Amino acid sequence: MEPKSCSGDGNPSRNLHPSKPLMAANFLRCLSRIQQTATNSSVGSRSRRIRRAAYASMAYSAGHRRAWSWALLRKLRCRRVRPVILPRRPRIARPQVVIEIDRAEVLRKLVPGGTGMDYCRLLEETADYIRCLATQVRLMQTVTDSISS
Amino acid sequence: MGSGGRFGVGTGNSGAYMTAIAEPIQFEEEIRSLIQARFDAPPVSGGSFTALLGLSANQAVGLLHEPGAGEVSTSAAGLGHPLGCSPIFPSNAALADRAPSFPFFTAADSPASISGGGPSPPLKAEPPDSDSSPSLPVPIEKPRRPAKRKDREKQKAKGPSKKIKTAEEHTEGDQLPYVHVRARRGQATDSHSLSERARREKINARMKLLQELVPGCSKITGTALVLDEIINHVQSLQRQVEFLSMRLAAVNPRIDFGGLDGFLMAECGPLAASNGRGGVSLDPASWSSAPAPGTGLRKDLRPSQQSSTAWVYPYALIDHATSLFGYGAADSVPLNWNQSKTDL
Repeated sequence: MEPKSCSGDGNPSRNLHPSKPLMAANFLRCLSRIQQTATNSSVGSRSRRIRRAAYASMAYSAGHRRAWSWALLRKLRCRRVRPVILPRRPRIARPQVVIEIDRAEVLRKLVPGGTGMDYCRLLEETADYIRCLATQVRLMQTVTDSISS
Repeated sequence: MGSGGRFGVGTGNSGAYMTAIAEPIQFEEEIRSLIQARFDAPPVSGGSFTALLGLSANQAVGLLHEPGAGEVSTSAAGLGHPLGCSPIFPSNAALADRAPSFPFFTAADSPASISGGGPSPPLKAEPPDSDSSPSLPVPIEKPRRPAKRKDREKQKAKGPSKKIKTAEEHTEGDQLPYVHVRARRGQATDSHSLSERARREKINARMKLLQELVPGCSKITGTALVLDEIINHVQSLQRQVEFLSMRLAAVNPRIDFGGLDGFLMAECGPLAASNGRGGVSLDPASWSSAPAPGTGLRKDLRPSQQSSTAWVYPYALIDHATSLFGYGAADSVPLNWNQSKTDL
């Protein structure tokens, strides 16, 4: 159904996030915990928890240096509406063409924490986010493969 | 620059090909030498030279707007140049074609030699002359960079004579090979545009990095399409995470992950050892240092993270994180999460 994410370049390890073993450790611990604690819940809620765990392990391994991981952690941590006032950078709108869609805006919505950045920073964060996501996907793929084999 | 290399080719690096190329080069050099000869005389013919200059610039641009193949082939046929190299030297051939139309070329045997099309003895004297002026790579260069060629044509014209101060005197400073950022003609070089340019270069560098990350993106030209591809890639990765998490949830009950703990501790030993053992023994209550009201499940993890000097991942942290997720305090939370991730 879904294609396996594999980069077509000759050096696939270049696209991996440097903290892959850390991510693996975190994620597997999450999985074990989820499996132990919620054996009777439905598949849907468990899958939601697993997905949250995936994003959490991604954000944890990326650390606080990255804006996207920081925003992710904030979102994961503060589940209730808390009046947390965080300094937001002024957003400089850069529309490409007035008639067409503003792709930078779309990217901002996709990447966590993207709304408070300028374009240059957004590209940087997207690159890191893509790397991390790709690593996470590959990790989950190997886990499912090893389980189902 | 490639132009220097190409000119070095003209002096006979690779044999047979060079003999074919040598003729047009010699024609061009002869024209130039004639220009020099004319300018050793009093600059009466300055006007016509400027006209030639103007025309050479215009026709260079004209050549560049058309692919130049049709025009070049006709002129080359007219001049008897070997057709194999005519596409490479459009300016040369067309320039030589136009030259006889100027009054100041008529008074010499040069039109004869130009229209003759064969290597004549006067041409043998040209090489030392050509070697003396190294700024002659124009005829050899392909019409790839219009601004550079236009500029070099003017430079070549200005070389022999300092008396002609044409309007094109203040050309761009792009003669040096190490200029990375080029100021276009007439553009200001004040701090604003410099910083703008630096910013643009930065953005271009980041885009290139992104293009390398996203598979299949390096062939695409144009920012909009590349951004589209990047957006698609991010969306597909997020969808894959969802799909895989569903698969894992379906498969989960069969496998016991408990045995992996020891393996993981061994793998991430140096990372976790400093914090893992110490972290596990910590009381869950100590983590919730936030004075926030609410359930005891909501722990403020931030002060604990900030206290660690290096960002070493503590094992206990994820235990509490998983407890946060596993116990799933609020039913509204998963909906919130879904919404934030999937709406666009």
